[in-house]
Amino acid sequence: MKKMISTFLSGALLLFPLSAVLAYDGGAVSDGGTITGSVKFKGTAPAPKKIEANKDTEVCGKTPKTDASLIVSGGNLVNAVVYISDIKKGKKMEPQKVTLDQKGCEYHPHVLAFPAGSTVEIQNPDGILHNIHSYSKVNSPFNIAQPKFKKSVPQKIDKPETINVKCDVHGWMNGWLFAAENPYYGVTDNSGNFKLTDVPPGNYTVEVWHETLGKTTQKVTVKAKEEAKVNFEMAKK
Amino acid sequence: MAVRGIDEREEKKSYGSVFLLGSALLVVATLWSFWDDNITRRAWKAYQAHFYRLDYQKAKAAYAEEDKKLQADPAYQELAKKLAAEKHSLEKGELSKKLKALESQEKTATVRFGELDQEVKFIKSELEEAWYEHDHALQQGRSTKPYEEIIRGLNERQAKWEPAVEKARQEKDRIKEEIKKITSGVKELEDELSKKTAERDKWLTPIQNATIVQNPVVFYKIPNIRQVVLNEFDRNTFDQPIARVDRCQTCHTAVNRPGFEKEPHPYRTHPRREVLLADNAHPPEKFGCTPCHEGQGPAVNSPMKAHGEVLPGEHNYWEHPLLRGPKVQSSCASCHLNIQSFEDAPLLAQGQRTFEQIGCTGCHLIKGYEDIPKIGPSLKRISAKVDPSWMVRWIENPHKFRPRTRMPNFDFKEDEALAITAFLWSLSKEEGDKWLQEHPLPSGYREGDQNLAAQGKTLVESVGCKGCHGFADGEFSTVVGKEKDLVPNLKDIGAKVGARWIYHWVKNPRDFSPATRMPSLRLTDSEASAITTYLTTLGNKSEPIAGVQERLADNKNIKRGESLVRKYGCFGCHDIQGMEKESRIGVELTTFGSKTLEELFFGNHTDIPNTWDDWTYNKLKTPRTYATERVEQVMPQFDLTDDDIKAIRIVLAGFQDRKVPPRYLADHGLRVTQVVEGRRLMHQYNCIGCHEIERRGGFIRKYYQENPTLAPPVLNGEGEKVQSPWLFSFLKAPFSIRPWLRLRMPTFGFSDQEANLLVSYFNGLSKLEVPYAYFDEGKVPREHLDAARVLVSKDYFNCFSCHQQGERKPEGPEEGWAPDLNLARNRLNPNWIIKWLQDPQKVQPGTKMPSFFPGGPDNVLGGKDDRQIEALRDYIMMSGKESAPAESRKKVARR
Repeated sequence: MKKMISTFLSGALLLFPLSAVLAYDGGAVSDGGTITGSVKFKGTAPAPKKIEANKDTEVCGKTPKTDASLIVSGGNLVNAVVYISDIKKGKKMEPQKVTLDQKGCEYHPHVLAFPAGSTVEIQNPDGILHNIHSYSKVNSPFNIAQPKFKKSVPQKIDKPETINVKCDVHGWMNGWLFAAENPYYGVTDNSGNFKLTDVPPGNYTVEVWHETLGKTTQKVTVKAKEEAKVNFEMAKK
Repeated sequence: MAVRGIDEREEKKSYGSVFLLGSALLVVATLWSFWDDNITRRAWKAYQAHFYRLDYQKAKAAYAEEDKKLQADPAYQELAKKLAAEKHSLEKGELSKKLKALESQEKTATVRFGELDQEVKFIKSELEEAWYEHDHALQQGRSTKPYEEIIRGLNERQAKWEPAVEKARQEKDRIKEEIKKITSGVKELEDELSKKTAERDKWLTPIQNATIVQNPVVFYKIPNIRQVVLNEFDRNTFDQPIARVDRCQTCHTAVNRPGFEKEPHPYRTHPRREVLLADNAHPPEKFGCTPCHEGQGPAVNSPMKAHGEVLPGEHNYWEHPLLRGPKVQSSCASCHLNIQSFEDAPLLAQGQRTFEQIGCTGCHLIKGYEDIPKIGPSLKRISAKVDPSWMVRWIENPHKFRPRTRMPNFDFKEDEALAITAFLWSLSKEEGDKWLQEHPLPSGYREGDQNLAAQGKTLVESVGCKGCHGFADGEFSTVVGKEKDLVPNLKDIGAKVGARWIYHWVKNPRDFSPATRMPSLRLTDSEASAITTYLTTLGNKSEPIAGVQERLADNKNIKRGESLVRKYGCFGCHDIQGMEKESRIGVELTTFGSKTLEELFFGNHTDIPNTWDDWTYNKLKTPRTYATERVEQVMPQFDLTDDDIKAIRIVLAGFQDRKVPPRYLADHGLRVTQVVEGRRLMHQYNCIGCHEIERRGGFIRKYYQENPTLAPPVLNGEGEKVQSPWLFSFLKAPFSIRPWLRLRMPTFGFSDQEANLLVSYFNGLSKLEVPYAYFDEGKVPREHLDAARVLVSKDYFNCFSCHQQGERKPEGPEEGWAPDLNLARNRLNPNWIIKWLQDPQKVQPGTKMPSFFPGGPDNVLGGKDDRQIEALRDYIMMSGKESAPAESRKKVARR
């Protein structure tokens, strides 16, 4: 009997911390602080490369396209995802309905961030065949055809992962889905700014991910109802 | 008065204490004998008793937990309450009175019916008798009249009774029905409740199985021997079949019981039980444990005796010690042929591959491995191929030039190596010179042209050379064992061979060496020149050995070389003129695993433990380690890693002299033998260098991580995918199916037999019983073709956005294209097309082909996905027919 109890206890010990590591615990946050800041690009920004649509040009060729893998606007890094990587408890996280639009044979937005468990509505207003092919490893990969008559396809992303999506019909189409582990994330716009609100007081690691430049992190301390500032600078490796 | 002869004192003496002592001893001895017989010498009883306790406690705890869950479940509670109420109303109150009345009525009615029914039955028997008499009279020629009378009378009587019987039956049934109606509520609730409690009540079975109930006493089951008898499994010393007795499960009670995975031995569940002990695999009640694990099957007195292990330090050797952990894999080959496909015997599979590919069979005969071709290149024209000084150094120690080569190191002195070279040179000189004369360098070839070399490098990296060869340190494709190259690394090839030979070799390898495995990549002259130029830049030319030509021509050297070649058995791996018929020089290993210690020669070693395992490990590690002053050994050094040695040792341990009778063997049917032989051939030609087959290989893919669509196709499930005749002709004469690939499927020059074997191999892997499928074009419904034409069109699936169809080419760059649909008719299996369209990702994970289903358009074929897929299949199978589907319809319309 003693043996049983001890095996049970060790089993429980083995299981419990794991689940604690994995799970994010959401609830009400009353005295949360805010993390704000910006992401800058270090060095001279490369000139955006033009992309030639070489297929379905009557639809895809309407709008001029540039390579979105590195966009710098006035020194600010665009399309970088900023998030707290080690938060376990905080504001409520709820699945959302988000939209990924393929209008003009490009993904809008180029980087789409949302909490894991959300459903992405993939839209095809172009009236031609697209296919959305995910290169995911944590979530099961999908490759769905979206012919003219399928205006919208819902796809649920269950687990946290940064997923590359491509269209095999139009080789230049390239986009990213960022399924976040917690509700503290943001994608930088032309200003390069971000703002994470309702963060419970404590010490955190803020991480920035960019598809071309990789990852960088900084530690930050958040005090109740105060604003913590953290600025990032990323360069080509 | 004293009586003579009788000692009074003696008479008066009491022997009580002696008797007491004696009987006490007897009691003790009896008790001891019981103790010894039941406990000391029956260790298994304690194990089994403990298991019953464990099993009981586990089941009890599980039952309690499930019960707790049920108690907390409101739905269950409500049901239970309802049932109780229902039962209560049946037992008490109005309903119960009615029920009781009905029950007594039923009794009366049943009795009444029984009486009447019996009356009729009696009449029927009398009728039988009367008919017998009637027939008897008829046969004897007597008058049947009187009997006819009797029969008529009886019939009348029966007719009179029957309505009464029927009435009684109805009455009885009516009452029964009424009772059922009243009690049905309870019955239904009980059924529902038992569904809910099933999870809990299943634990009652193990509880009952572990105990004996003799009310009011409940005790654990009394342990007993559990044995499996395998009739005729073994053979005795007179080679007569005898049964094997296997009692392992007397103590190992939980091997096939889930839920004991974390218990200590012997109460633990067998790992991978659901696969390994499944009914179609090795059910322990049929096979027991010893066919795989060895040990002393019938012994149960102590674990040590049963396991028969060699205890370190004690050296009490048993012939069949228990096989634990990965060592158990050595048993698989006793009954199985297709061991390389076993997920659960990775070491054995790896070991067998290494064993087959490292050249063991060149020197050693092993039954079942006789047909493995020589692994080294032919030396019949060697003088036309290599630099002689390079060759001398190579023979001296091949590992110096190429550490990853499969050729072992014979540890030759320079003069020995030179003698061997001289001998081989003298044999091949004539043939080689003739070949050289016929194969000059192309005119205008300039060695060292930078531009050409760069072109050659690009070609080498794009046409597929890297599927087999490495061209720099750390580059390799298929690895034999842990760190040997199946195909040579060419980073220093310039030291070995010259431009002239390379040019003709890459253009047509079989021209130089008809038996080579190297395929032709169908290079043009200019491509061959470019590649030649590139390869000659790799490595420095060999430093010539002083006077090498004269020494090679020296007759003494040639003579000495011949005897060395014979002694070391070079012809085991290489074709050498005049030595085609030589037999293998090593000992036969067919029953090597059964060798006992007395048969193993340890030389002067005292540091190596006297076990089969240690002997074999050290032999493979340092092959000449057991040599002494008097005993010479010639086995060369392979420089294998420890992992390789252990894997090969598993294979060797499986070479047993006992033969398992056919009825215990796994499938050795045609399909399995074809898979095994086909796989050997596949390995020989290194198909897995480029293609992933059986979820292994595709090593060239590492160069295409950026753009996997440019890598060679994955061939898992190829047998199911393509039609056998197509695959056969494709293997014989490959052509480009995917024009966007720079890689070329080489021409291997397979013989008909080889191509057939490869087709059967792929079919066998797909478990395809019927390799041909007939597609009846005449039976394709018109509406399918009409619907499919809509589906493939631009407004729907737009298939031609990527797929080529004959002359109709897709838009955009070629690398975005997909195979020509006109090929499908002869190439693809119609049933596979269905599977493919249903879910392309499932058939080939990562494919560019997206899933169109579920979710076909609503306005085609009633929006039914299955019918749309069938229609597409029909369309694809007809695509590219001489009268293409669209065309033929037009013609009909015009008429």
